Amino acid sequence: MIEGLTSSTLLEKHPRLEDIMCSLDTVGKMPSGVSGEIRQAVALARRFNESVARPYALELDRKMHEDPTYVPWDIVKEINRWGFYTNWIPKIYGGRGWNLGSLIPVVEELCSECAGIGNLMGVEYFGMSVLFAGWNTRITDKVCRDVVAGEKSGEPCLIAGLVTEPGAGTDAEETELLHKARVRCLARKVDGGYVVNGTKVFISNGHVSTWHISTAFEDTSRPADTMMCFAVRNDAKGFVYGRMEKKMGQKGCPASEIIFEDCFIPDEDVIINAEQIKKLKHSPRETAQQVIDFVVTLTRPGVGAMGAGVARGAFQEALAFARETEVRGKLLVNHEWAQCLLAEMYANAALARLTYMECNHITGLYGMAALLNLKPMYYYMKMMPTALLDRVMPFANRLAAVQQAFRKIIMDRQKEEDALRASGWASLSKFAATDLGIKNCHLAVELMGEAGIRHDMRAEKFLRDSKLLQIYEGTNQLNRLNLFKCLVAPAAPEALVFEE
Amino acid sequence: MKADVSEELKLLDEMARDFAAKELVDEREEHDRFPFAPLYDSVLSKALEVGFFAVMLPEEAGGSAEPVSALCLVLDEICQADASLGATIFTNALAQEIIRQAGGASLLAEMASEDGSFQQSLIAFPSYNNPGEVDHCARAARDAGGYELSGDVPYVVLGGVVNRALLPAKTEGPDGYSFFLVDLKSQGVEVSEPVLSLGMHSCPAVDLALGGVIGTLVGTEGEGSAYYEAAVDRLSVAAAAMAAGTMKGSFTGAFEYSKEREQGGRHIVDWSGLRIILADMAVKARAADMLVEKAAGAVDREEPGWQQQSRAAALVVGGMATDATTDGIQALGGYGYMKDYPQEKRFRDAKQIQSLLGITHMRRLEFIQRVVDGEAAW
Ligand SMILES: Cc1cc2nc3c(=O)[nH]c(=O)nc-3n(C[C@H](O)[C@H](O)[C@H](O)COP(=O)(O)OP(=O)(O)OC[C@H]3O[C@@H](n4cnc5c(N)ncnc54)[C@H](O)[C@@H]3O)c2cc1C
Repeated sequence: MIEGLTSSTLLEKHPRLEDIMCSLDTVGKMPSGVSGEIRQAVALARRFNESVARPYALELDRKMHEDPTYVPWDIVKEINRWGFYTNWIPKIYGGRGWNLGSLIPVVEELCSECAGIGNLMGVEYFGMSVLFAGWNTRITDKVCRDVVAGEKSGEPCLIAGLVTEPGAGTDAEETELLHKARVRCLARKVDGGYVVNGTKVFISNGHVSTWHISTAFEDTSRPADTMMCFAVRNDAKGFVYGRMEKKMGQKGCPASEIIFEDCFIPDEDVIINAEQIKKLKHSPRETAQQVIDFVVTLTRPGVGAMGAGVARGAFQEALAFARETEVRGKLLVNHEWAQCLLAEMYANAALARLTYMECNHITGLYGMAALLNLKPMYYYMKMMPTALLDRVMPFANRLAAVQQAFRKIIMDRQKEEDALRASGWASLSKFAATDLGIKNCHLAVELMGEAGIRHDMRAEKFLRDSKLLQIYEGTNQLNRLNLFKCLVAPAAPEALVFEE
Repeated sequence: MKADVSEELKLLDEMARDFAAKELVDEREEHDRFPFAPLYDSVLSKALEVGFFAVMLPEEAGGSAEPVSALCLVLDEICQADASLGATIFTNALAQEIIRQAGGASLLAEMASEDGSFQQSLIAFPSYNNPGEVDHCARAARDAGGYELSGDVPYVVLGGVVNRALLPAKTEGPDGYSFFLVDLKSQGVEVSEPVLSLGMHSCPAVDLALGGVIGTLVGTEGEGSAYYEAAVDRLSVAAAAMAAGTMKGSFTGAFEYSKEREQGGRHIVDWSGLRIILADMAVKARAADMLVEKAAGAVDREEPGWQQQSRAAALVVGGMATDATTDGIQALGGYGYMKDYPQEKRFRDAKQIQSLLGITHMRRLEFIQRVVDGEAAW
C-alpha cells in the first residue's frame, strides 16, 4: 500500500487527479436532492418541447427568414408562462430556487428541439450571471424580483448581458487581451452616478429584455483595470436600441445593438466599480477576471449543453429519416453504414453531455453558487418557506454588511486553483461539446441527402443554429487558449499565454 | 486552375469573373432573400445571353460545345461570388447532359429553336437526388398517344422558375426508371411554393405533383439509371468546381477581414492561432484547384479512369469546402454569422453543393463498387 502522504503527493502531480476527475469529489458532496431536481426539470422541458417548441420551431424560423425585424414576444411570453425565467432564481432573490445543476440539462433538452428557443430561455441566465457575478446583493435582489413580477403579470421582464463591443469581442472575454483592447464604452463619474457612452453589439435577447447588465470602463485606455458593471432599464434616458442583426441561424433569438447616449446611471445601479473593488482582496484587474470567470464558468458549459442539444436533435432527425426512407430498396436504418453513422452520432451527443455534466459538478463545487450546494445550506434553503424569505431577504439583501459578507466569502476566499479548474473545464466543455454538436448537424444533413437541405425536414436548421455555438461565449479558439491557460500552463510555467 | 488553358478558355474565364463582379456581388444579400424577395430574373436573362447555360451544349443545339474544363472555369468564378447561379448553371447542364447521354441531341436542338427566354431555355431537374437511390420517381403509363406521368417528384430544382423539367418516372415492365421531358405549364402539373432550403436561395426548388401529365420519353425506357450515371461521371467534377469556387471566395473574405480586424492589440492575422485556420483554408483551396483541373482534364481527354477521377474530385472537394467555409465564418467571429458578410451564405451553399447528386455515403459506396468490379483504384 502507498502511505497517505505519498499517495496525496502522487495525486497532486500534474495532471492533478482532482483536475481531471472532478466528479469523483462531487459524488459524495452533492446533496442527493439534486438528482431528483434534475429529473423533474428535464421532464418539464420535455413537456414544453412537445407542446410548444416542436410545433412552433420551424414556423418561427421561417417568420424570421421573411421578416428579420420580427420581435418574438409570442414565444418569450410562453417561456415566461412556463416559469423558465424564474425557476433558477435563488430563493433569497424571490425565485423558485431550483438547483443550478438542473438548469444546464434543461438547456440541452430545449436545444434538442430548437436552439433559438433554447437560447431565448438560456440567455436569461447569462444576463443573470453577469448580474450575480459582482455579488451586489441589493441590485441583484431588485432586478430578480422584477423578473418574478414579470412572470406573475404575464409581461416578461428579462435580463440581457452586455459585454461585447463592435471593436472588442474576443478581447472582452479575457483581461490579458482586454488591457490592449479598443473598447469605447466609457463610464464617466459624475455627481451621484455615471454618464455612459458607447455601443454594445450582438446582445442576445436585447430587444426583449427590460434590464440590461452591462460592462463599461472608467478609462478606456486602461480597460482591464477600470472595468465597472451596471444595471440599466431599457426605458432609461439615453438607452437606445440599434439594429437587430440578421443572423444565419438561431433566428428566433434576437441579437441586438444597444447604444448608450449620455445615459445616466445612478450610483445605486452600479453593480461593481473601482471604489467597491478597493474593499476586496484582489486588484481591479484580478477582480475583473474573477467576475468574467464567474460568468463564464456558468455560461460556457451552458453553451456546451446547447452543443449536446443540437447533437442530439440532429441525431434524432437523422434517425427518424432513416427509419422511414428506403434507399436502394431497403430502409436506410438497415444499411450497416448508416447504423455505424447513427452510433457515432449517438456517441457525439453523449460525449458532449459528459463534458458539460462534469463541468456542472465543478461549478456546483467551486463556482459562484457553490455555497448553495453545501448540504446544510441546500436543505435549509429547500425547507425555508418562500413567504418568509420574501419578507426578510429584500431588506437583508440591501444591507451593506450582507453584501460585504458574501463578497468576502465568495470573492476573497476563492482559491486560485479552484478558479482555474472551473474556468478551464468550462472552456473545455464549450469548445468540445459545440464542435461535436456541429459535427452531428453536418452528419445529419449528409445522411439525409436531398431531405437534409430542406427547411421542413429540420436538419438544415440544426446546422445553421449550431454554428453560432462555436462563436459566442468566446470563440472556440479563445476557449482553447483559456483551457491552455487554466489547465495546461500551470504545469508548464515557462508558457506565456496571449503574448506571442 | 488556369495554368495551361487555351486562350479561348481564358477569355471565357475572364468573362465569368467580370460577370460575377458586375451582376452578382453588390446585390448578393438581396438576391439571397428569395423566396421572400423577387427572383433575379434579369441576372438569369443576362447569364443566358452570355452563354452560361450552353457551355457544353452541342453546336447544333445552339451551344458552344466546350469541354467540361470550360464549365468548371465558369462555375469556379461564379461560385466565388454567388454559388446560387452556379447551381442554376449546373442543374441545367446536368439535365442537358442526361438528354445527350440518352441520344436526345435532336430534342436539345428543338429546344434551342424556341423563343430564347431563360424560362424556355433552361431545364429543371431534381439535381440533389439520385433517382436510383431514394425512389422519388413518378409513374408513367403508356397509351396510344404517348406517356402520361402521375405521382410526386420532390425537390425539382428550378421547377418553379422555368417551363420544362426532366423528370424520372417508372414505366410498366422494365425494372429501372426512365427520363421524361415535361412541360411544367401543362394541365395536371401541381407546383408547390418554393421550398425553403439551406442554401442556394436564388436557385430554388419546388415539389411537383403530377396527375396524368404528358411526358416525352428521353432515350430508351428503363435506361434512366445508365444515362444518369454517365452524366454524373462527366459532371461530378463540375460540382467539385462549384465547391472549389465557394471555398476560394470564403478564403478571400476571411483573409481580407483578418488583415483589417484588430484584437489583443494586433491584426488578428498576426495571431498564429488564426493563421493556422487561414493556412488550412488556403491549402484546401489550392488542393481543390489542382484536383478540379486534373480531373476536368482527364474527363476532357477521356484518360483511363476519368469517371472515377471526376467522382473522387466531387467527394473530396465537396467535403473540403464544407470545412473551409465553416472556418471562413469562424475567422470573422460574430460578424461571420451575420448576413452583412457573405461568409454565412458560403457555408450554407457549400453544404448544399456537397448534397448534389445524391447522398454522399452512397456516392462513396458507388465509387468502391466500381473498384470491387475491377476498375483500377487509381
Ligand atoms: C448571435 C450572437 C449572440 C451573442 N450574444 C451576446 C450577448 O448576449 N452578450 C454579449 O456580450 N456578447 C454576445 N455575443 C458576442 C460574442 O461573444 C462574440 O461574437 C465573440 O466573443 C467573438 O467576438 P467577435 O465577434 O468580436 O470576434 P473577434 O474577437 O473579432 O474574432 C475574430 C476572429 O479572430 C480570432 N481571434 C481573436 N483574438 C485572437 C487571439 N488572441 N488569438 C487567436 N485568434 C484570435 C477569433 O477567434 C475569431 O476567429 C454574441 C454574438 C453573436 C454572434
